[in-house]
Amino acid sequence: MMPSPPGGAFRLPGYDLQEPSEADAVAALERVFGPERAADRWSRACREAGVLAGHLATWAQLGRAVASLAEQGGTTAVVARSMEIRMRTFARLSASAAAAAAGRQP
Amino acid sequence: MSAPDPLRDEARLQEIADLDLLSPDVDPILADLAERAASRLGLPVSLVSVVLDEALHVAGFHGPDGLWLAETRGHPVEWSFCATSVRTRAEFVVEDAESHPEHRSNPLVTQDGVRCYAGVPLISSRGHVLGNLCVVGLEQRSFAEEDLAVLRALAEEAVRRIERRRVA
Repeated sequence: MMPSPPGGAFRLPGYDLQEPSEADAVAALERVFGPERAADRWSRACREAGVLAGHLATWAQLGRAVASLAEQGGTTAVVARSMEIRMRTFARLSASAAAAAAGRQP
Repeated sequence: MSAPDPLRDEARLQEIADLDLLSPDVDPILADLAERAASRLGLPVSLVSVVLDEALHVAGFHGPDGLWLAETRGHPVEWSFCATSVRTRAEFVVEDAESHPEHRSNPLVTQDGVRCYAGVPLISSRGHVLGNLCVVGLEQRSFAEEDLAVLRALAEEAVRRIERRRVA
């Protein structure tokens, strides 16, 4: 589990990777679908995930919204997979960095 | 106004969805091609990649145990060597990543030790570049025409196998 909220402020040292955020997910959708279609998809994903679009407060909520986005299928699921991979990468490399800082391997 | 980025082209992403390339059952039909690419070129890592809008997805993988890439099955697209081929539709070779203008500051180079790369684009029957069949090494090296011919042949076989999965 990652810290909350997913504000996108933390950058992983060395990899210069910013913690994924709700704003990143919406921006990714907008780059593919444009603002209107992106907003439709994101609001639906959040509604079906039981979270409030625009106000995701935890990493777990972001994960649920992205998983819900994937269930829309088609190109929306492809964009969702991008976000999932970015979240997985951030989590995995953060864990490695934390383990290294603690003087052990994950 | 700049040209649209092929990475975010909706038709290309639809092609990836139509071919069901994000399914976990893709790896078993592509992993042997990755293994053959790595073996033939004498390099430790080979991927069949699918380049998404914001990330590279590993559809087929061969590499040593313990690589984080095998766990995450991908990485952010801005680190991707394979994304170049989606934009150019051409093969992409990096013989010395530490001196390559686009990749010398890439974390895969600075943090993970990638030093060489060669990738051949996977182009679907509808003309979309899906990703690459590529090899990756931890030492500088040059790639001969025969090396690229091996990758081209394996990439063609990968596309044949991928096309059998078309669902739309």
